[in-house]
Amino acid sequence: MKLHTTLFAGAGIALALGLGDSAALAKDSGFKIMMTPKWTGFPYFEAAAKGGREAAAELGDQFVYAGADHADVSLQVETLQNFLAQKPDAIELAAIDLNAVAPVLKQALKRGITVTTFDADAAQDARDMFVNQLSYKQAAKTMLDCALLDSPRGGEIAFVAASPTAPNHTAHIKYMKEYIKDDPKYQVFKVVDTQYANDDDAKSYDVAINLMQAHPDLKVIISSSAVSAPAGARAISASGHVGKVFSTGFALPSAIKGYLKDGSEKCFALWDPEELGYLATYATHLKLAGKLDLKPGTTFEAGKAGEYTVGDGGEIVYGKALMFTKDNVDKFNF
Amino acid sequence: MLTEGGEAPTDGEARTALGQFALRFRVSGVAAFLLLLGVAFTLLRPQFIAPGNLSAIISNAAILAIVAAAQAVVLITRNLDVSVGSIMGFSAYLTADFAARHPHVGPALVLMPLTIGGALGALNGVLVAYGRVSPLIATLGTMSVYRGLTYVYARGQEITASRLPAWMNALPEVRIAGVRLLVVIAIIVVCLLAAFLRFYPLGRRMYAVGSNVSASAFFGLRTQRVVLFAYILGAVLCGLAGFLYAVRVGTVTVVLASGWELTSLAAAVIGGVSVAGGSGNVIGAALGAVVLATIDNGLVLLGIPEFWRMFIQGAAIVLAATADMIIAGQVRNALRARRRIARAAP
Amino acid sequence: MIRKLPQWELTLVVLTLAAGAWSAYLSPYYLSLDQIAYSTRQFVFPGILAIGLAVVVILGEIDISLASTLAFGAVLFSKFSAFGAPIWIATPLVTAACAALGTLNGVLVARFGLPSLAVTLGTMGAFRGLAFILGSETGYTGFDDSYLYVGSEQAFGLVPVSFILFLVIALAVSVLMRRTVFGRRCYAIGLNKEASWAAGIDVARIKVMAYALAGALAGVAALVWIGQYGSARGDNADGAILFVVTAVVLGGLDINGGRGAILGVVLALFLLGTMRNGMGLANVAGPIQTIVLGGLLIVGVLRPILFQGAVRGYRFAFSRQAVASN
Repeated sequence: MKLHTTLFAGAGIALALGLGDSAALAKDSGFKIMMTPKWTGFPYFEAAAKGGREAAAELGDQFVYAGADHADVSLQVETLQNFLAQKPDAIELAAIDLNAVAPVLKQALKRGITVTTFDADAAQDARDMFVNQLSYKQAAKTMLDCALLDSPRGGEIAFVAASPTAPNHTAHIKYMKEYIKDDPKYQVFKVVDTQYANDDDAKSYDVAINLMQAHPDLKVIISSSAVSAPAGARAISASGHVGKVFSTGFALPSAIKGYLKDGSEKCFALWDPEELGYLATYATHLKLAGKLDLKPGTTFEAGKAGEYTVGDGGEIVYGKALMFTKDNVDKFNF
Repeated sequence: MLTEGGEAPTDGEARTALGQFALRFRVSGVAAFLLLLGVAFTLLRPQFIAPGNLSAIISNAAILAIVAAAQAVVLITRNLDVSVGSIMGFSAYLTADFAARHPHVGPALVLMPLTIGGALGALNGVLVAYGRVSPLIATLGTMSVYRGLTYVYARGQEITASRLPAWMNALPEVRIAGVRLLVVIAIIVVCLLAAFLRFYPLGRRMYAVGSNVSASAFFGLRTQRVVLFAYILGAVLCGLAGFLYAVRVGTVTVVLASGWELTSLAAAVIGGVSVAGGSGNVIGAALGAVVLATIDNGLVLLGIPEFWRMFIQGAAIVLAATADMIIAGQVRNALRARRRIARAAP
Repeated sequence: MIRKLPQWELTLVVLTLAAGAWSAYLSPYYLSLDQIAYSTRQFVFPGILAIGLAVVVILGEIDISLASTLAFGAVLFSKFSAFGAPIWIATPLVTAACAALGTLNGVLVARFGLPSLAVTLGTMGAFRGLAFILGSETGYTGFDDSYLYVGSEQAFGLVPVSFILFLVIALAVSVLMRRTVFGRRCYAIGLNKEASWAAGIDVARIKVMAYALAGALAGVAALVWIGQYGSARGDNADGAILFVVTAVVLGGLDINGGRGAILGVVLALFLLGTMRNGMGLANVAGPIQTIVLGGLLIVGVLRPILFQGAVRGYRFAFSRQAVASN
């Protein structure tokens, strides 16, 4: 009898411990979150990592940032494979090739790892959520608004993208063309050319020079590449086209400050990469802690970054476009 | 190094007519190819020949011309330098960083990239000449090491135009007699280098070493020193090119000039510099850079889709190599014919 | 004693073991059979390219267009898959098409006498251009499962099929180079082209065959690529060629031809793979990895000199000791 009681008590304790264990599984901090950018050493991604590290520190998570030093998809997959072997709770990445990373990400999902993409998406069925800086349409509109500031009466414009295989760049160009066709506000523009510069500054510079030669009436060069837009500005001022041709698009404020100040350029745009990294990590944490349901329409609070709504297909749009002009560019420190 | 020059077929006097012409007017394959390219683009789009466009091409080619000439110097000694892009990046980043911290240092700063480049080149040269490491392996290794060190030094930062001193930002717009300073520097550098290789004993020794190392050593040339010197000279020029690149593009990043190892090789090869050493000249290599810039420019002018551009550029390299080989073969035949005539004459 | 292993190959084995031990020290996740077996996938496609390149290098030539040939092959596979062709028809056809590209290189080099670096520098761009023209901007992902098998599955739930394929290819090419007339002629030509020609070997024909073989292997590598990454685009394997060349020269092949063995290339791949795997698991920063691998390459080839220096130093110390004891 006594023995029995002891046994029961023991079983009870064991049960309680077991329950305690499973309760501890749904913990709400101390997660291991691993982030890889397209490539390390680019200030934009370093800023995103800084934001991610900040969110992780705030929430009591472990944060690891690693990756190859150049954008090579097979190296990115290798990095992800190495992440997987380290049994993290979540992986965050900016995909180089949306399809090529899919097999390894699907494996991660199968093992119960939360997968978040930011900046550049992977195939939709290979990740849980995509923290998008700006929706493609919003990005397109922002760049065109900038172009209107440059050349209020419109005129010929040309696009410079990284490569025909960069999905966000091609989408931006597609929507800009749509706006120019349909929206009377932007119908003053005429698209004359699209060139590719591979995110390479010298190539971007040469492409800008060649574009100005090929189209003598060119007014604005628009680029979604944060490398090409400043290089275009440089090419314009060095070749004596200041005031006649403008460069705009996405660029880090530190890279284009000088051109805005001396009046050779009027407007560039971007978002805050640090807050983007913060949001991605925050949302990932909430998902891990079971506090975020990725159904369309769910709203959530992401710490100091504010409130967001989950969209279709697990897409969370950060959406805070910044337009830099000579009046406000000093306020930004990235 | 990798193959021998092919012997062109030698039948008939008509064939050597081209050779006689090439010999008399010193026309190299690359000049002929450039001319053909120019005529073709002008016929398709007359705007090509506008002075503004031609000067745009030349200024786009200027920096690559210096690097191609540097690559040619090393190739002539029957070696190879695939670390040129990394040398450019390393010296440009350190120099720009120093300039951003010490804006009061004036144009004397130019000495800095030259020195850094020279030091990196010396390491390459020592490895290849005294370490007897294959040039491809040695410079593949240093390419990674130099680039990696640049990353480590930069710590994820880049140097933007607004941090560079004013004189560096003003440099790309400086003109001398209406010609961009950048272009003037490139032309002077390439011409000086050509003169050095042609008239200066050390320059001629480079050709000798490249043609036949053991024979050169047999005749008392210190071949190792010559090779070391070639690497240092090439790398000093790369340092200069890196500096000019930084000044031109304004934003100095850790990836500056990555991939230029292949571009510079392409320019040198198009320019008729033999990868087997001992032949070719730096002016040809510089013209090779102009050919690449011309193709880039012409294809934008013609509105050729991106995908075809890669194909056309690749095909152009093969064509240029073929043209060079044919002309070189013809020149050889012409020389032989001339010798025959000289012997036949009493 | 087993057959004497050449010194360089032995060094590579020792270095690989050292790298493995170092990796285990760096990361607690390294030492697991699953992990190590799975990580071998990472160097299969560059490895197959490296074996093809090795044959060309033994002849004293080079081919830097192989990664572009792979991209062409991958896009071609996507066309066959979209057309609904079974894999056993697609594979030989794609391999043959890639061999044709290799043959083009070979003809330009061997029959026209053009320098191989120049030719393959050009065709590197041209073949990639072809891949882009043939494919589309968005790339293809809808591969039939049979196309993905080689690159994605594991045999016995442990060893990747692609790795087994790599070993089979390495063994076959090794036998080809060591035991057949073709292989011996390759070495002979690499050592002395003129003498080989004088001895009646059709140098040009052998060279064209070697380039064709390298091209065909790039086609096989394309099959591995599509399985592993499930993606076919013109920019596939962009930038892989430097790693491939590194593996070949680290494997002890003389870039001037005539010397070195396929085994060395395989061991060099093991070494590079182990180091990248270990450093990756320890989350070593990308630039540091680049420096370490670059430094390894230099130290690796300086080995004869370092070794000689050590021997000389030892002898010197020994002789002094001997003198002192007298």
